[in-house]
Amino acid sequence: MQEEKVSIAVPTGALLTGALGVLAKSGLARLTADELGRQLLIDRAGVRVILVRPSDVPAYVDHGAADLGIVGKDILWETPGSHYELVDLRFGGCRLVLAVPDASSLNGPDTWPPMIRVATKYPRTATAWFDAHGQAVEVVRLHGSVELAPQVGLVDGIVDLTATGRTLKENRLRITAVLGSSTARLIANQASLKTRSAAVQSVVSKLRGASGGG
Amino acid sequence: MRPRPGGFFTPANPSVTPQLGGVPGFRDLLPLEAEILREAQESLLAEMRRWGYRHVITPLVENMDVLDVGLGLEQRRRLFKFSDARGDVVALVGERTVPVARLVAGKLRSAALPLRLCYSGPVLSTDEGRFQQRRETYQVGAELIGASGPVADAEVIALAARCMEATGIRRYQIDVGHAEFFHGIMDAVKLPDGVKAAVRAALVARDFVALESLLEGTPLKSAEHELLLRFPALRGGPEILEAAGGLVRNRRSEAALTELAHVRELLVAHGIGDVVVLDLGAIRDFDYYTGVIFEGYGPDFGRPIAQGGRYDALLARFGRPAPATGFMIQLDLVSEMLTRAPRPPALPRIDAALAWSDPGLNTALRLGSTLRLFGMRAVVDTQPRSPAEAKAWWRAIGAANLVHCRSDATVSWTSEGQRSRSLPPEQVAGRLAGGVT
Repeated sequence: MQEEKVSIAVPTGALLTGALGVLAKSGLARLTADELGRQLLIDRAGVRVILVRPSDVPAYVDHGAADLGIVGKDILWETPGSHYELVDLRFGGCRLVLAVPDASSLNGPDTWPPMIRVATKYPRTATAWFDAHGQAVEVVRLHGSVELAPQVGLVDGIVDLTATGRTLKENRLRITAVLGSSTARLIANQASLKTRSAAVQSVVSKLRGASGGG
Repeated sequence: MRPRPGGFFTPANPSVTPQLGGVPGFRDLLPLEAEILREAQESLLAEMRRWGYRHVITPLVENMDVLDVGLGLEQRRRLFKFSDARGDVVALVGERTVPVARLVAGKLRSAALPLRLCYSGPVLSTDEGRFQQRRETYQVGAELIGASGPVADAEVIALAARCMEATGIRRYQIDVGHAEFFHGIMDAVKLPDGVKAAVRAALVARDFVALESLLEGTPLKSAEHELLLRFPALRGGPEILEAAGGLVRNRRSEAALTELAHVRELLVAHGIGDVVVLDLGAIRDFDYYTGVIFEGYGPDFGRPIAQGGRYDALLARFGRPAPATGFMIQLDLVSEMLTRAPRPPALPRIDAALAWSDPGLNTALRLGSTLRLFGMRAVVDTQPRSPAEAKAWWRAIGAANLVHCRSDATVSWTSEGQRSRSLPPEQVAGRLAGGVT
């Protein structure tokens, strides 16, 4: 790893456009999703941008393969680690919700069965949330199309991320509880902050400025 | 398992094959890794001995009663626990400072303080280490018990620095902070206890977004608000102490700054001023550390490899109140760093491969003993071989010399890149030991 270059991991998927927007606005790097998608790793003056899957961003940062990372708070709930969470970048707003079929009788905690079954891509967060409510839960971990699971009778409901609520509506699901609100965050490797603070902090303040954060 | 010609990989059937990979999270160290780890461990313990620290060995298993006294809830939760035959709940140690404290308050209670002790050994954790997946790691540490004040703090920090050098790490940095600086700030701000606890929790989780939104909801004056948000970035050379002095107005924090200034001067006298960075934002276990704290970082490595600080409250909990400071080095991180270096250490070569054919076995055995007496690495073959087979065996084990013993009188000696020579065994031993080829 170069002494001066600061590496930033950005996530594929929903947050990519926002992340590239903040990078451009901060004056650090002007990149299109297409070129980054082709090359995965692009060097610019002072920074190196790498494209990784959203759930891999904390791994890259915690291991020091990237100094900084842009990642949704939802991923951080699911994979806590040794990184520093520095800035709320204020884009990619969405909510992690408990949704059930429109026809379901489930509503607030008082209507939950003795053991509730939920499907989710967020098993850790879901388990912790139900634990905090004193509710027994059986979490089925799925990797995609979570909305399908309640319709075929696999589970009572799902814990999933929603921005507009459209996908839920299209699948005849309604929100009965909100576990938390998520936005994109800037995270940093602990050693990078300590051993290369000047270079890393300068990039952090540019990104902070570009996000309109405090 | 080797891929078949078709390129398919057939996984072993777990119901009939033992799990050759071992238990998940527990690693085998192969010869090169084991050699690097052992060398690093010996260099660390040797450096500690040069500073007058005595090596102690505490067991891998401790009573939960003892660990309960010294460890926080999180640490206790991550221990492998079981009950022994008498029904006592015991655990595999997750760190080794608490066992050393038990020793000092127990079997060593009549030993005069200060005591300088060091240790080395594995520690275990049920935590699968998030991404690292390692549940057994190795720590080497030193504890200075019974001495308070900057001179003792500086001794332990300088020892940690020299230890990092002793392992062969070329570039490193030691961040030095003070737990009391933060405690002073928290004392001085007027916030309900619940909010203070949440501020501490956010800092321990390194979540500055949460910290910021917590503080936004409080009626704090802007200067205090600003200080709580910005103190984690207060780091640098001695000038940072003056800058910080202008920001805090409480006695605890000011006393911490004075002490840090003193420790820094002593570290300059120790000769390690240029690797020390003052870090007033050092965030560590607030309940455990009571004074100067520090962390050691190697180049381009995502985590600290050494950690330590003053923990004056621990010994009292074992009934022998005494100030104490110490540190531990993550031995596996050190060896990982050495492995990644531009010129990683290599496994030492075998000096002599001793092959034989009847009736040369006794000569080979005698020659092996002689060479080992001179400190050389010599391997005697387990079966007779023809000269051609002996050469193949020699190449396979990668030794520097081949000595083929066919009789008592003369042996055939081949040194790498040279022709074979027939000489009496004593002469071969003499030349090999004398470095003559």
